[in-house]
Amino acid sequence: MTATRKLAGLAIFLLAVFVLVPALIAATGRKDLYYTLTSVALLSIASAGVWLTFYIGRINMGQGAFALMGAYVAAVLVTRYGMSFWWTLPAAGLFCALASLLIGLPILRLRGVYFAMVSLVLTEVTRLLALAVPITEGAKGITNIPLPGAISLFGITLVPDFSTMENPRIAFYYLAVTLMVIAFAAMYRLVNSRIGHICMSLQQNEELASSIGVNIVHLRLIAFAISSFLGGVSGAAFAAVTQSVYPSSFTVTDSVNFMLNCFLGGLGYVFGPMLGTLTLYFGWNLLFQTGEFQLLIYSSVMILLMLVLPNGLLSLGEGRRKG
Amino acid sequence: MEQVIANGLYLGAQYALIALGLTLIFGLMNVLNFAHGQMYVLGGFITYAIYGQLGLPFPVAVLASGVSLAVIGGLMERYLFRTVIRRSHREESTMLLAAATAFFFDAVILLIFGEKQRGVPKIVKGVFHDFGIILPYDRIVVAVVAALMIFAFILFMKYSRTGRAMRALAQDRVAAQLMGIKVDRYTMIGFALGAMLAGVVGGLLVSITGVNSGIGGPISVKAFLMIMIGGAGVVGGAIAGGFILGMMESVGLTVLREYGDVTYLVIFAALMIFLAIRPNGLMGKPWG
Amino acid sequence: MMNRRNTLKTVALGTVSAMALLMGSTLHAAANEKLKIGFVGVTSGPAAAWGTSNVRSMQTLAAWYNETGGVKIGDKTYDIDIVTFDDQKDPKRAVEGMEKMAQEGIHYVVGPNVDDGAAAVRPVAEKNNIIYFPYAFPKELYTPPASNAILGMIANYQSGPAIYKYLKENKGVKKVAFVAANESDPLSQRDGGVAAAKALGLEVVADKDTYQNDTRDFTPVLTPIVALNPDLLVLSGVAPANAPLLIRSARELGYEGLISTETAQDAKVLEEGAGELANGFISVGGASTPAIASDRMKEFVARYTKMFGEYNDESNTKVYALDYILETMKANPAAIDNIDEFKKTIDTFSAPNPYVKGDAKLNYVGTTSFGQKRQISVPMVVNEYKDGAFQTLFVGSVD
Repeated sequence: MTATRKLAGLAIFLLAVFVLVPALIAATGRKDLYYTLTSVALLSIASAGVWLTFYIGRINMGQGAFALMGAYVAAVLVTRYGMSFWWTLPAAGLFCALASLLIGLPILRLRGVYFAMVSLVLTEVTRLLALAVPITEGAKGITNIPLPGAISLFGITLVPDFSTMENPRIAFYYLAVTLMVIAFAAMYRLVNSRIGHICMSLQQNEELASSIGVNIVHLRLIAFAISSFLGGVSGAAFAAVTQSVYPSSFTVTDSVNFMLNCFLGGLGYVFGPMLGTLTLYFGWNLLFQTGEFQLLIYSSVMILLMLVLPNGLLSLGEGRRKG
Repeated sequence: MEQVIANGLYLGAQYALIALGLTLIFGLMNVLNFAHGQMYVLGGFITYAIYGQLGLPFPVAVLASGVSLAVIGGLMERYLFRTVIRRSHREESTMLLAAATAFFFDAVILLIFGEKQRGVPKIVKGVFHDFGIILPYDRIVVAVVAALMIFAFILFMKYSRTGRAMRALAQDRVAAQLMGIKVDRYTMIGFALGAMLAGVVGGLLVSITGVNSGIGGPISVKAFLMIMIGGAGVVGGAIAGGFILGMMESVGLTVLREYGDVTYLVIFAALMIFLAIRPNGLMGKPWG
Repeated sequence: MMNRRNTLKTVALGTVSAMALLMGSTLHAAANEKLKIGFVGVTSGPAAAWGTSNVRSMQTLAAWYNETGGVKIGDKTYDIDIVTFDDQKDPKRAVEGMEKMAQEGIHYVVGPNVDDGAAAVRPVAEKNNIIYFPYAFPKELYTPPASNAILGMIANYQSGPAIYKYLKENKGVKKVAFVAANESDPLSQRDGGVAAAKALGLEVVADKDTYQNDTRDFTPVLTPIVALNPDLLVLSGVAPANAPLLIRSARELGYEGLISTETAQDAKVLEEGAGELANGFISVGGASTPAIASDRMKEFVARYTKMFGEYNDESNTKVYALDYILETMKANPAAIDNIDEFKKTIDTFSAPNPYVKGDAKLNYVGTTSFGQKRQISVPMVVNEYKDGAFQTLFVGSVD
């Protein structure tokens, strides 16, 4: 793909999410879609993290743990210490990145399904920790989290206080897609950098990569930390949107879903997790009027998709180009 | 304390049996079968329908569970997993397929059998009560059957032609193929066998713990834990993992109860530390 | 189609009949204007039983009303249309569901079924003028400044003390043990129960024992508790699927005291799962025991059974929410799309309770617990399970 085509693609995408989608929503009056798309954007950020760990050859089923951690860090900082929401976003991300370094050091040695399982157990451990640790308020959860405040620079209000808005959902939508664009831009940059290429080689053969002098332990830790950072940011933003956090806010189911999003979109494509999240999350919603048959239809479509496109939705474009 | 150990042994036997089928499928195809728990649930409901509702003898019902699931498993391998494995670049992609089939089974089971917890009349009444141990007779029967089944399964894998072929497959697929083993056929048989085990266990345990449409997912996750402890893809590992997890739960629940809500936190954290020290479980292949 | 548990054939039949029902109701609906009432709750996954009994109660009632000509509110007659959303017990999805309800222009929603979901939908409900009826107990949902949530059942902190007091006075209970799943709702209910038991001067011998909700064998959980020899074992917030397993394990371990819970249970589930071992098990129900059920309640059960193949006793408490919504609207037709009118009517509303024999009333309560009327008054029927059915132990009330 040439540079101009890439730029054009980027411009179209930005136009779509920042202008076209809100315009369409305004035209059709489907205001509920703001929350749906906000969720998709935030969940796809967490999925992007999972995708990155796939990229270094690890099946990550622990992203729910970091999303939950991030949500609690943000909630505690806002409600207990009165910190501004805008600072809690990076704070939650950094906390999760640090936590993931500590956890990752021993468990990143594991491979394949062993890593998958340990990370799954990590999700459950985090949930139980949230129930047991005093600062999280245990089973009662943290509720009534205030909406994000204003951002001003030199006395000029850049972002107004969310609670003064007529519909904060719209603001959350812009916030979520902005975060998503930043996250995926960074991912794209990373994957196409020298480090990205080395990661790719890790995925194929760790022994070989280490024999040519790559410090794979460091690399894996960094990738896992970035992944967890994204999970934390996503969780923190969700806490602000729903204004509450419970130990059950992110569970094993979410961890598995993050992973499924990556599979569905396609493990070989940076934007796979975004499309996968959109399809899986939005698909469930589209089917809500089918009542008791919802899960049946949903799972049948998933099986069919897998049979037709086992390498993910984005492999569709690739096949066409080849043929 | 005797009671705690007896509980642990019983729970372990139950767990080991659940883990066997999962580890067999994993060993043969590298597929982490997310639908394992759902297969167990389906087996349970078939036994419920035949023994509990129609009133046919319990062994007939359990047999029917096993046969139905074997057929379903065989079909799943032939028409779903084989296709996806052949066409995908990365074998992990089967995880999405497995998860999708798990959802599918969940949906079907919920539609057919409803949302309620189901149970069947006890197969044997009465409770054994001696030597400081209390154990209902039906649990003893199930534990003995479980032990016999595990034993028979090991013999089958070790000495039968099919079993040997499957072990060869699990060890080295390419080599097995070169040796003239019909890979496709034995993979299908293996998958069917794994599914059958899940169905039989489901049928057997419905007499003790009943069954409901929502427990498939959690059972899968628990079975994953067991095969990780023992070592994925190894029959001995699944058995060891089942007993270890059963014992950990039983002892943990008694010893840690004073510390409150942390019982399971400690059990799971211990599991993570264990796996960090032994990255392939007790006896797993050095890869995953 | 009478019994959907049996064979595969019933699926086909069930599908066809469900479609027929669906089409039938839409065809019929052409006559009257539609009044949409929402449901956001869990109808799939491990907790499917909670939401299913809930939504089916609503659908049964709606089909009944529509069949008999609709509901007259003010000078218009409406057909009731139940819009359902399965939140899969995920608070993020619950918010989604509430947004959908707002989009559909719905102002009255039943659900969610659990604490986290109820807390998460609160901002959406308040922003979009939705009154919702959660089956969740956190007091802050119902206490000012919150005003859009109305508790749809009796909270454990209301029924628990009454049950313990009764058992203390009538059955000589002195030592109590609590056991709960390690999740938000059961743990909160356990903490409430422990406090209530202590306030009554009972000795609490176990208040920290927990289990994973997906536990299938409860013997290891109960072994140390049974050894403490309590007079009463409270299964706090127990899921209906787990209750028979817990009871069976406790009895088989030789436990001889009483067992109780503060949540609604299903007699059939208990019978199949624990048989005669469940005799004497105490739970809180609605109005299906023969001693108090009115003819209308009996017809409701019959219609529910006909529509879905099998009744669920959990619906005894869940039959009420929809009627409260409709009856309040009848009392003040302006409330149909104006929740401020609804809130005004809450304070004075009163109508006969059609599901219970005698002259019981439908009205809003909760002043003692929440400082405002944000709870529907449901007869607090404390049941004892006996040989496949519930028997009324005593009937209490909440103010």
